[in-house]
Amino acid sequence: MPSQPSIRDQLEADAWKNHTRFAQNLLRRRSSHPDRKPLRWEDRALLLISIILLLLLILRVESARADDPFFGLEFQDPAGIHRSLALDTDIQVKITGLVARVEATQVFTNNGPQWAEATYRFPLPVGASVDQMRIDAGGRIIEGVIEEKKEALRQYQQAKTGGITASLVEQQRANQFQTRLANIGFGETVSVTLGFFAPVDYRDGLFSLQIPLTFSPRWEPEPSPASNITLMESHPAARIPGQDDHYLTVDVELDSGMQLASIESRFHDVEIHPSPGGYRVFLADPDTRMDRVFELNWAPELGTLPEATVSTFDDGDSIYALLMLAPPLMEAIAPQPREVVFIIDTSGSMSGTSMEQARAALKSGLEHLGPDDRFNLIRFSSDSEKLFRESEPAYPEFLQKATDFIEGLSADGGTVMAPALRMAMSLPEQDGLLRQIVFVTDGSIGNESELLLKIAEDLRDSRLFTVSIGSAPNAWFMRKSAEIGRGSHTHIGHVGEVEQRIGGLWSRIENPAVQNICIDWGMDAEFYPEIIPDLYAGEPLWVHARLPAEPRDVTVCGELDGRYWEMHTRAVTAAGSSSLASLWARDKIEALEDSLIFGAEPDAIRHEALGVALEYGLLTRYTSLIAVDKTPRRTPSEGLASENIASLLPAGNALSSGFSGTATGWKTQVLLSILSFFAATGMLLYIPPSRAANTGGDRSPMTALQP
Amino acid sequence: MSTPRHWLYAAVPFTAAFFSLFWLSQSLWIPVKAELAQWLIERSWQASLQGNPQSRPWPWADTRAVAVMAVPDYGIRQVVLQGNSGRNLAFGPVFTEGTLNGKDWVISGHRDTHFGFLKKLKKGDLISIETPKASRWFEVRALDIVDSRHEVLVIEPGLERISLVTCYPFNSPDAGGPWRYVVTAIPLKNTLKPRLTSSG
Repeated sequence: MPSQPSIRDQLEADAWKNHTRFAQNLLRRRSSHPDRKPLRWEDRALLLISIILLLLLILRVESARADDPFFGLEFQDPAGIHRSLALDTDIQVKITGLVARVEATQVFTNNGPQWAEATYRFPLPVGASVDQMRIDAGGRIIEGVIEEKKEALRQYQQAKTGGITASLVEQQRANQFQTRLANIGFGETVSVTLGFFAPVDYRDGLFSLQIPLTFSPRWEPEPSPASNITLMESHPAARIPGQDDHYLTVDVELDSGMQLASIESRFHDVEIHPSPGGYRVFLADPDTRMDRVFELNWAPELGTLPEATVSTFDDGDSIYALLMLAPPLMEAIAPQPREVVFIIDTSGSMSGTSMEQARAALKSGLEHLGPDDRFNLIRFSSDSEKLFRESEPAYPEFLQKATDFIEGLSADGGTVMAPALRMAMSLPEQDGLLRQIVFVTDGSIGNESELLLKIAEDLRDSRLFTVSIGSAPNAWFMRKSAEIGRGSHTHIGHVGEVEQRIGGLWSRIENPAVQNICIDWGMDAEFYPEIIPDLYAGEPLWVHARLPAEPRDVTVCGELDGRYWEMHTRAVTAAGSSSLASLWARDKIEALEDSLIFGAEPDAIRHEALGVALEYGLLTRYTSLIAVDKTPRRTPSEGLASENIASLLPAGNALSSGFSGTATGWKTQVLLSILSFFAATGMLLYIPPSRAANTGGDRSPMTALQP
Repeated sequence: MSTPRHWLYAAVPFTAAFFSLFWLSQSLWIPVKAELAQWLIERSWQASLQGNPQSRPWPWADTRAVAVMAVPDYGIRQVVLQGNSGRNLAFGPVFTEGTLNGKDWVISGHRDTHFGFLKKLKKGDLISIETPKASRWFEVRALDIVDSRHEVLVIEPGLERISLVTCYPFNSPDAGGPWRYVVTAIPLKNTLKPRLTSSG
């Protein structure tokens, strides 16, 4: 088939003229000769090997050890690497509200031939951060303490100069804890204790906690877990013969503060016992292998009226209280008429699938409007525009107009949110109707603090619900604005999720449960969150407080179905755990940081937050976990002590010296270069006979290179 | 008839051979340089003994000889250089910065050039250190394997001691390992020089 003349054709034609042999070769290559032989496999292999050799030579690639996700203790000694599975693993879990405090203890033995350095890895649940660590290695105790970042660094430097084992504990990957230990003797027992908070997942009326305990070969759970926690892989060769007699104990204290309808462990057999604060859950089988995720699910028993319970913890100084409000059953609430204002972001960044998702979300929102509801639509990009001057009832004609409006939206222009929000907040009030603002955006904005301040000032009695769309929403802003607006935040990651996620939002907000909640602790109380959200159907609410004395009677008031509602609750004394204090402190630090939005002095906030973090031992952005060897220093061996010669011991404020690289590795290099030279020469020598065997004397460039 | 082989068949092994030879010469140069340098350094050491402390082994050298270390039992005599840098280590054992002014000296050397002899040292062996000012005998009192990632050498200005440091294990093919072999020696208690004196 004739084709367009190309530069390549031209070049070939020139070559033809200049070099007949080249032309012949070219001909031979192009017209598939019947006698043309495919490359022999030896030739292919040879070519491949020599190319690899060449690459290795030029790059002199250093073999990097594969980063394998073995969990447990991995010993490195001059003889190599060997791994140890825990002999005993003990997991203590205390669940309080939406947070679980986990303490994991593992015991190992160095069964290698000599003393070794070891790396310890532990799989962490998503969102967990280790704030407590204690390692007991044959009498040496290394303990993690929370210090201010700068102070931690200083201590680390000091310990290092003093010759003491120290390490700044870092979480290199989100879902893995790792630390290193030096000098573990033969047969020595190492015990590692980690403490961390793990978030409890709550979705569609079901609470769920997952703790990955995958220390031995991976086991695929069936059915695959619905939640988004990734299973950690472990090394297939992790099991060591003779070490399979390890024990796993799991002890869960479930203080949910409410009556539970069900407790279920998804992948393990468990025993469940009632306890004063709630329930205790143990593993039923003492021979449980550590090859799967521990997942506990529980569902609250919801009544027809909201319930409130209080549990407390006394640290000797203050009382820490947790107030849990359980909402009534969904069926028990009559839908309340409201005014819904949809705000949709139509800026350029929304174009494509984000806009499709937004349209789908809005249309489903229109479908969920009740006959007594009113609604309005506002779009914004660089400018803002509202559909109706005043919110209209959800009659077919208005709904049709709205659908057309939604269909006609196109994503273009910038993102100027403030006027749209102001427009929504300044719409004429509809008598007796609760205004709910649903704000749909991909959240790419810059002036967050300013906007949050505006929301706090102008929102008054309206409620703000944020719906973020796409892969990179400004989650912090979306969550905070919903918090300030006493609403909730929904995230839609991809189109397939629209129906499920947004459907949940609509069914929640059409049934407002208890509004304008106030709490009377009977004394001065410092409680968080500062803005108490509404109590929505199916969504319990927790309030953490610090009190000067044991509460006697706590009164919760609010509005239910438009009427004043009040209930009294008595504290369940001493049922709460010590984590109530940490939880309160976490909330306080978050509230302190939030106050920056409203113009608090950053230095003062930093100082105060740091004080709280240090007092309660919390890992925050101001603090680090530093591990220092607290053991009395290793005594030098007999006879040497008096002469003070052991150069590895710390001595006062002495100077110190690191080590330089004291090997050239020239012998290895000589060996390798000789080997590669022989390999290369061998290949050159190999070529002529093979050529001679199947060429009939035609000369090729190869021949010139024969030695 | 067969297809003429692609030029890569010759070019690749040929280039590989060339690089191998280049690499070989480079790696062989390391021990040769180590030996040659010692010879040049020895000359500058003699010059500094004769009252020229600023004498340099070669005109562009950024180091100078500061001491001679000898272990007569093993026929070792090496000139120790100033400045603990990778470049200086190629020429001979070096004093760690800052330790030269005190008495607690740290001397490092490559395990596969100058300090290969450390593996032969045992407790009780004698090491002589000669500086332009003095000559002193030390006795080996401790042999340690340490992990450079976790430990540092502590320097006590008031303590008289030498630590000889090299990489460990001695025959490891890998040059970048974390382990170090530390030989600690302290001054001989009796002031009498041992009979083995061969220098000074």
